[in-house]
Amino acid sequence: MPQSVGQKLLPYLYVAPALGVACLFSFVSMGISLWVSFHHYDAFAGSSAYAGLENYRRALFEQDSYFWLAMRHTLVYVGLSVAGVLITSLPLALLCLRARYWQSLFRTLYFLPSITPGVVLALVFFHIFGNYGQLLDRTWSALPALALLGIWAGAGYNMVIFLAGLTEIPQFLYDAAHVDGANRWQQFRHVTSPMLSNTLIFVTVMTIIGSFQVFTSVYIMTSGGPERSTEVIAYSIFINAFAVAGQMGYASALAWLLFAVIFIFVFVQMRIFRSRRVYDE
Amino acid sequence: MISPWRRFGLIALIAVVLVGVFLRAGMTRQLRERLGVGKVRPVELRVWDWWSASSNEEYGDYFTALEAAFEAENPDVDVVYQIVPFGNYVQKLSTAMVGDTPPDVFQASVYWAEGFYQRGMLRPLTDYLEADVDAAPADFIGKSAFLPSAWRHNHTQSGVVYGIPQIIDASCLVWNLDILEAAAASDEEIRDLFPRNVDGSVDYEHIRFDGIRDWDHFRRVTNKLTVRDVSGEVTRAGFVLSAYGSGAGMFSPWLASNGGSYQDSAGTRALFASPNGIEAMEFMARLFWVDKVCPPFRREMTDGELFQERRAACVVAGTWSGKDITRNSLGWEHFGKTAFPPGPRGVGPRTVTWGNMLVITRRCENVDAAWRYLKFVCGLHGNLMRSKHLGYNGPRHDFYETERWQQAQLERPYLSNVKQICLVGEKLRHTEIIAVNHQANPVIESILLRYPHIIAGNGPYPSVETALKLAAANVDNVYRRYNAQVERWLVRRGEL
Repeated sequence: MPQSVGQKLLPYLYVAPALGVACLFSFVSMGISLWVSFHHYDAFAGSSAYAGLENYRRALFEQDSYFWLAMRHTLVYVGLSVAGVLITSLPLALLCLRARYWQSLFRTLYFLPSITPGVVLALVFFHIFGNYGQLLDRTWSALPALALLGIWAGAGYNMVIFLAGLTEIPQFLYDAAHVDGANRWQQFRHVTSPMLSNTLIFVTVMTIIGSFQVFTSVYIMTSGGPERSTEVIAYSIFINAFAVAGQMGYASALAWLLFAVIFIFVFVQMRIFRSRRVYDE
Repeated sequence: MISPWRRFGLIALIAVVLVGVFLRAGMTRQLRERLGVGKVRPVELRVWDWWSASSNEEYGDYFTALEAAFEAENPDVDVVYQIVPFGNYVQKLSTAMVGDTPPDVFQASVYWAEGFYQRGMLRPLTDYLEADVDAAPADFIGKSAFLPSAWRHNHTQSGVVYGIPQIIDASCLVWNLDILEAAAASDEEIRDLFPRNVDGSVDYEHIRFDGIRDWDHFRRVTNKLTVRDVSGEVTRAGFVLSAYGSGAGMFSPWLASNGGSYQDSAGTRALFASPNGIEAMEFMARLFWVDKVCPPFRREMTDGELFQERRAACVVAGTWSGKDITRNSLGWEHFGKTAFPPGPRGVGPRTVTWGNMLVITRRCENVDAAWRYLKFVCGLHGNLMRSKHLGYNGPRHDFYETERWQQAQLERPYLSNVKQICLVGEKLRHTEIIAVNHQANPVIESILLRYPHIIAGNGPYPSVETALKLAAANVDNVYRRYNAQVERWLVRRGEL
């Protein structure tokens, strides 16, 4: 029986509110920010002149631009965070899964840092790192220290995601592996790991995106120092956008360059993971 | 079980309350005034400040007294204070101005005042000042009422005034007089830092303004006051030098004491990479690395904290800091303040000063009431209130002739040199300070942290001079971009 026009429109009506909010607060603002990046712009004074690609050229090529330095620091931070999150979250999830008692208590405890405001965590860790090893005072240790905080804060959240993925793996696969004589490691390697690949992709992608945008800990704990060793791209964007008169256009250009880098990273990663996928829904 | 009608009623009630809250929160002042919502007096004056009544009871007392006194004199005005954290001022002010919920008056730091004016956010006050020449001396808030060092950050080069100084601040050296007094018992040179009473005895309650003669003298005195353990580690510092963040802030007063300036007055060129600046930078670095009078660089331990814990004989602070030190150290007042002694190229004690100000926004709807508020707060009466409640000295000439100031110096002897310190100040750098700091401070931080490597030729820069010249070149770029931007704004507003 053919659908009436009303029936055809109904699904679109259902998604309309969410789509409207997304358009207004994400896509429209993104469009404005793209427009701003091609202008000399100030948050109060507005646009004063069309700048063309000047803001992008300045970010990429001028001697006093810290874009490449900030991008390098950001990439190091991303690498440390992704490695750290994977090393900590998955084992925590496996341990939680095996816990015979108090599983929900452990889950809650590990999840607590994720719901604690970033500013509070940054202030607490500022004193911890200051009193034990002065990690924030040295150029070689400041960025890893910030990554350590990021890993600690994000481990519980990612653990819960992994836990959800682990509980989805059918028990009969483990039973079959057990019957075939697979030990724990072999079960993990040949059953758990491939079956978790989708979760792994999700966690990695989200960690990469989140790490590229690291800001709060840098702002509170180091302000980009010592000697610019923790100056990351989000911090550069903030300083130029809100602390310097008339540099909103330049800051927007930095933000779009960051977007491009994240997009390329995630795109490449999705391609690689997709080609290696061994199991599909 | 709840009936469907009752459930519907409950949901409707919640929806109405939520909509009401959102509507009320989102109302602009114009709309509220049109509707007559929450209107107590005809004029509402919204004042922004980063000083907060919730900081401590003294600020609470000050704002309460100020509001009561001003409203008693101005029954048509309802003053509403809104506290905005210092670090969020720029974003919040831009948002409020664009969103049509601006403050009428706010305290502007010299960090942003010039930029705010050039962006068109502040109302020029020249017309009100010209119309107010016949005001009573205590209420007059024109140039001649203020110390020259206070009336410097509040106007353009062409003389357009956009703010009235509320306070005068200066960088200074703060000395622990307990430590000095103990050392003076056996050391004539340190005893000479104290003035003499009329009977010839040593006055251990004060320190002489020009007691420290020059940099060499400062180095020698701080060395004598430094205590080291058997391993040579500093257990009590003669002087505290910060490398992280605030360290760069110390460079400006030491530079001024060596006859140098950070920037030109027009804001077009950085001047700190001069021989004066290189010497100042070397002097600071050598205090730490060669003379070893400072404790190790620690990010989480500030110089102020070390001083309040009596683990340092001398630190750099502001002239405003006395009351904070006393409060944080539970009543300790035995310290004194001086300017910075002259370097080889300097003449006499110097420092840097600045005067944060009250400004009126361009979108202020009751300029007359705002001007009355400025006159009240920046007039003599407001200065006296800040002295009484907050322990601040004032930027006005007549403040220093009052009984209140004489009494304050008797109660807190550490204030005795404050006026002199404020009078010998160079103007603090003033053009795009945050952007300039972002360019220059990491270089200064590197010099302080890696001075031995730089001298040995294996540091991040071949020499201190090269490092400062690189920083200055980058600061020049900040100025160049800023001035080009200002020109575009002026063209856009039809003012050029």
